[in-house]
Amino acid sequence: MEFAYTETEESLRREVQAFIASEITPEVMSGLDDVGRSGPAGQELYKKIGDRGWLAISWPVEYGGQGGSRIDQYIVEEEFARVGVAVGGAGSGAPVILAAGTEEQKDRYIEGLISGDISLCLGFTEPQGGADLAGLQCRAIRDGDEYVINGQKMYTTGADRATHIYLMARTDPESKRHAGISIFVIPMDTPGITVRPLWTIQNNPQAPRGTTYGENRTNETFFEDVRVPADCLIGEENNGWYLGAMGLNLDRVGASRYLMSVRRDEDIVNFVKSDERAAHLKDDPAVRDRLAELWIEAQVCRLMTMRSMSIVESDDRDFTYEGSAEKVWAPEHGVRTTETIAQILGPYAQLLHGSEGAIEDGVFAHNMLGAFQSGINHGSLQVMRDQVARRGLGMPRGS
Amino acid sequence: MDILLNEEEQMVRDAARGFLESECSPTLARQMEEDELGYPPALWKQIADLGWIGMSLPEEYGGQALPLTYLGLVLEEVGRAVAPLPLLTTAVAADIIAGHGPDEMKQAVLPKVVNGDHHLSFAFQEVDARIEAEAISTRAVVDGEHFVVTGVKMFVDNFTISDQCLVVCRTNEGSTGRDGISLLLVDRDSVGITETALISTAKDKQSKVVFDGVRVPRENLVGTVDSGWPIAQEMLDKATALLCTQMVGATRKDAELAIEYSKSRFAFGRPIGSFQSIGHLCADMTIWVDGAQLLTYEALWALDQGRPASTEVSQAKAFSNDKCQAVVRSSQQIHGGIGFMMEFDIHLWYRRVAAWSMRLGTSFDHRARVARALIDQPGNVRLGEPVISV
Repeated sequence: MEFAYTETEESLRREVQAFIASEITPEVMSGLDDVGRSGPAGQELYKKIGDRGWLAISWPVEYGGQGGSRIDQYIVEEEFARVGVAVGGAGSGAPVILAAGTEEQKDRYIEGLISGDISLCLGFTEPQGGADLAGLQCRAIRDGDEYVINGQKMYTTGADRATHIYLMARTDPESKRHAGISIFVIPMDTPGITVRPLWTIQNNPQAPRGTTYGENRTNETFFEDVRVPADCLIGEENNGWYLGAMGLNLDRVGASRYLMSVRRDEDIVNFVKSDERAAHLKDDPAVRDRLAELWIEAQVCRLMTMRSMSIVESDDRDFTYEGSAEKVWAPEHGVRTTETIAQILGPYAQLLHGSEGAIEDGVFAHNMLGAFQSGINHGSLQVMRDQVARRGLGMPRGS
Repeated sequence: MDILLNEEEQMVRDAARGFLESECSPTLARQMEEDELGYPPALWKQIADLGWIGMSLPEEYGGQALPLTYLGLVLEEVGRAVAPLPLLTTAVAADIIAGHGPDEMKQAVLPKVVNGDHHLSFAFQEVDARIEAEAISTRAVVDGEHFVVTGVKMFVDNFTISDQCLVVCRTNEGSTGRDGISLLLVDRDSVGITETALISTAKDKQSKVVFDGVRVPRENLVGTVDSGWPIAQEMLDKATALLCTQMVGATRKDAELAIEYSKSRFAFGRPIGSFQSIGHLCADMTIWVDGAQLLTYEALWALDQGRPASTEVSQAKAFSNDKCQAVVRSSQQIHGGIGFMMEFDIHLWYRRVAAWSMRLGTSFDHRARVARALIDQPGNVRLGEPVISV
């Protein structure tokens, strides 16, 4: 076992930190806050990041990636995520296109995903359930050279600005559960797709950048006789369950999810150390004990992320339960931290962004409204525990 | 960065597991709880021949000079097998002698240790059982060519079978903190030592040791007079990290036993493991012991880097204390009434993990150390960057 990063990896980290210090100014950040990556500030910043070779580091060279290690990508993602700028990753869709797409599909999507010209939103969850994903009802029925899609997807975050939706739908209407499901990547401007906004409780007023679940808008997306060419299908028809699960596993690990669960641990320790409002807390044995306990738990989040990275990079190890274990431990830790901070800071921790007296721009209060969300999305805590029990431990199924 | 075990580390672990599975049954663990020595000398000789005792000791004394991590992997298996082997105490005391003892002492002691002919123990904790320098009140006063040791040491593991004990003393009478601490290697059969057995939930060998004017030759000093605190700290850190490996090994096995039991135990017409209340508990038990193991491995790794590792060690022990205890208690719950019966084996793990979770520092002790490192130093903290203990 080797817990240290190599000298090359460390120097990459320093290089990224120096870039961030000089390039990501408050002006750049406010430009990003207004219109995101598509605005002039965003385009210029991502061009510079791309010129350094820091986008899609671990993706294959032939599709515009850098062919580097997942650990390098993790380092770059962590540093940018710390200032609230998303690089790399691209959710669970891109790895699935890379793993199962045709050459033509890879050529069509991957470079655009790296440059930002193509962006995906996730269309898995439906109104009747997200935890019970295999019970999905949205249909994609083959009709000649086309599929005809009918149904509804929920919590399609980014659907209002994404160019494509990464969709899971039932291609065999006679099938039950996991069989008969397929994966598609579909242009959002296809006729018959309607997007309606849903607003999250965390963002009224808008949560500060870096808060646990910073999106203020998500959506529900409707499909009414949406006809798409058959080559929107990724991988084999009726084999989508396996592909989707693989993508989700990769998306459950990595820098942004890790940081989401541990940033407040750093924030509260640094606040207690240095803020005059915390002078009475610094020497309180109960507060010190709780802060140390949370810090130790956060180290476990970090180590589980390192374990996942090590597995991804390994030639002979694959996930059995480790991604799911991380997706139980880290979100629950994030909630424990948030709730403990609330009791340490008391009434200050209820004050939202913009309020007189709010600490750290209200991040702790907004986090209280959003921290539990990471234990719901992309596999709830309960479903993740089921996966650990069944896949990791071989526990029998219920009758 | 690759925190999975490498091939060589897997081999060390697999070899230790294979050996203990064939040579060390739960029945042996039961027998040794009633045994006067508390360990089987023949098995001890076998592990000496396998090179376990001298694993991390220098080659010039017959050791293998391997990283402490390897010894940790072996001790994880010792914990897994609840093997009645007093390896941790002898190995840690020998490691400290190898690192800080005078040459004559090393030559006299270490080859015998490696061969399995010489047992060592160490004594830090006192009636005030905190793991801080302030709790050390046993005095050692210079008298000619001797130190004269007076005081009471508590919770001394394997003192009763050790030939010599490394004792942390206060040599500067005016001092109360980290100054004025020294380590002395004391012969167990010295005049003035009274030993009383402590009977713990682990039912292993632990003692209260009273030193009443015990004369110890000056050449038995390890390190320099009054400057022994960093050595005592290193000894505690190494012993604590290694104790965590035993806890992790025992806890992992204990959880596995509960998981297997839940697959074969039927109630309400189905295996109880098919109930989500049991399945999710087993998932949590796995996550908790994973966390303890990851923290422990990082602590061992940090110790092998030769840099201050007290924070990593305290992280591992605080977490292991709470979470390993929670795992073995949950395992008892899954077993139901039968787990409460002496004739069933699961208590062999439960009772040991319970005892180990209270030894070498409580969760509160270790979190206090982590809090000092986090809060009482200037500058911001950031996860992933070492926080050096103060």
